[in-house]
Amino acid sequence: MNYILFVAFKMLFERRRQTLVSVLGVSVGVCAFIVMSSLMLGFQNYFIQQVIDLEPHIKIKPREEAQEVEKYTILLGAKPKEKDRILGWQEIIKDLEEDPQVLGSAERLISRGILKYGIKDKPITLIGINPQREPKASVIERFLVYKRLDKLETNRTGVIIGSLVARSLGIKELGKKLVLVAPNGKSLLVSVEDFFDSGITNIDDTRVYINIKTLQSLLERQGEVNEIVLKIRDVDSAERLARELKEKIPYEVESWQRAYRNFLSIFKIQNIITYMIVFAILTVSAFGIFNIIMMTVLEKKKDIAILMAMGFTRRDTLLIFMVQGLIIGVFGSIIGSFLGFGLQEYLESVRLDVEGLIRTKGFVLDRSPILYLYAFAFSLFFSLLASLYPSYRASRLNPVDIFRSQ
Amino acid sequence: MIELRGVKKVIGQEEILKGIDIEIKKGEFVAIIGASGSGKSSMLYIMGLLDRPTEGEVFFEEERIDFSEEEKISKIRNQKLGFVFQFHYLLPEFSLLENVMIPAIRLGMRREEARERAYELLKRLGLAGKENRKIYQISGGEMQRVAIARALINKPLVILADEPTGNLDSKNTQAVMDIFKDINSEGTTIVMVTHELELARQAHRIVEMKDGRIL
Repeated sequence: MNYILFVAFKMLFERRRQTLVSVLGVSVGVCAFIVMSSLMLGFQNYFIQQVIDLEPHIKIKPREEAQEVEKYTILLGAKPKEKDRILGWQEIIKDLEEDPQVLGSAERLISRGILKYGIKDKPITLIGINPQREPKASVIERFLVYKRLDKLETNRTGVIIGSLVARSLGIKELGKKLVLVAPNGKSLLVSVEDFFDSGITNIDDTRVYINIKTLQSLLERQGEVNEIVLKIRDVDSAERLARELKEKIPYEVESWQRAYRNFLSIFKIQNIITYMIVFAILTVSAFGIFNIIMMTVLEKKKDIAILMAMGFTRRDTLLIFMVQGLIIGVFGSIIGSFLGFGLQEYLESVRLDVEGLIRTKGFVLDRSPILYLYAFAFSLFFSLLASLYPSYRASRLNPVDIFRSQ
Repeated sequence: MIELRGVKKVIGQEEILKGIDIEIKKGEFVAIIGASGSGKSSMLYIMGLLDRPTEGEVFFEEERIDFSEEEKISKIRNQKLGFVFQFHYLLPEFSLLENVMIPAIRLGMRREEARERAYELLKRLGLAGKENRKIYQISGGEMQRVAIARALINKPLVILADEPTGNLDSKNTQAVMDIFKDINSEGTTIVMVTHELELARQAHRIVEMKDGRIL
């Protein structure tokens, strides 16, 4: 192998300008792969992590048609029909908590409502929770600005409102009094006990948490719940577990993956588009490598012939040119990794208000080292692929034909 | 040392060699002469195991060569044969010293040892002090001497030279011939293709070729 490297390095070094251009081409591809993957996965992982932490891993709720009924009751002002509730929820919870896959569960009553503050009002999703049991099923407390979940227990008319709900209504301080209007027309004077800030726009813009007993009383649905939420040991198995539970429970069982399937599908499409762009860049750089090695092979026919006369085999010749592709790939990957790292550092330091699907104060990046490994592997694969054909051509040259042609 | 039995070579429709029988003995200095197109270079390539005959057999050190054994043939070329061509075929990326070192490194010699041996050869051929130059920094005669040094580095049994003086002036031509005679006197077999009778006369034996046959 020593002699292969000896010749390969010399040939590359002698054409340093073309080599440098090829190395830079690979570097750009590797850098683009690292930074784009980092941005994309950073955003997606952040979103998914927030969802996993904030949302129940599995929800049990009345079937879709029951929820439709509630929509009409809002329109018609009638009392919700019997279907929008979970019967025997205590027994269901008791059974579920015996399941070793389940870490915790909690009951909820969910309804729509309108929150009024002064002349402003905002339609909201009212979530009636049991403040003692809720932390078993979600990490809601992590997203509370003042960590005052227990206040819902002591102050039965206390509410925790989403940060964007608060912004829409112009509320900046705790203790503010608001009017909560339920779908049945009843209203209640409530006070702000905390703000809820998950960073996910559509959640923070709609949710209001209230003590479940208060909401049951407001809706005249004492003892009723219409959602059971579960936190499970392995979040990735939520879909499988949901399917298993569906067999046993006569209600709708929905995993977090199913609840957010639209987003997950968008992420998939986003990944495909991003990787197509990155692969296009890597392909262009691969053509750069192909070009330089093919040129070398065509220009160095005489040298290849004399190497063969000196005892180099066809395999040696193949390796000499493959190694050149590999060297370009390795150096390109190293430089590209440093560039990628530098760009990641820069992007992480940039402060800006991102407000879309998620809200952050800058770019959310995935800094996992595995991205560098993938970039390395892809770039080496492309480099070898690009050098394969020219190397093969070189190895098939007949030295006698070349000597005769001189 | 090298024997060709009934060797024929056909390229396209043309029969280049029409049944060659020749034996090169150890320590000989053989000159092959003939007009252009007589088949002398083609015969040399087959002797040097660079090309395979269409028909016939080739023996090297009394062993029949199987041309399908590429690894083995490459090893023979590397260890036991040395080539010198009309064009020097030196690699422009490498210094003179490195050019000479290449066959030794291919053989598996340590780089330091190869460097030492290459330097000794260049010194012997009058190129001491120029070992780090590139080929464009030396004359045609010097290039050919570097090519000879490269052919000699693995101490081959046979040197096969195809018109080695074809591009040289008379002074450099004689210098190359003197080197060959010197090497030959040390026991290395030399087979040289030339079209110059004057040079051929300096060899032990002259083989004349015409239209693909030995006369």
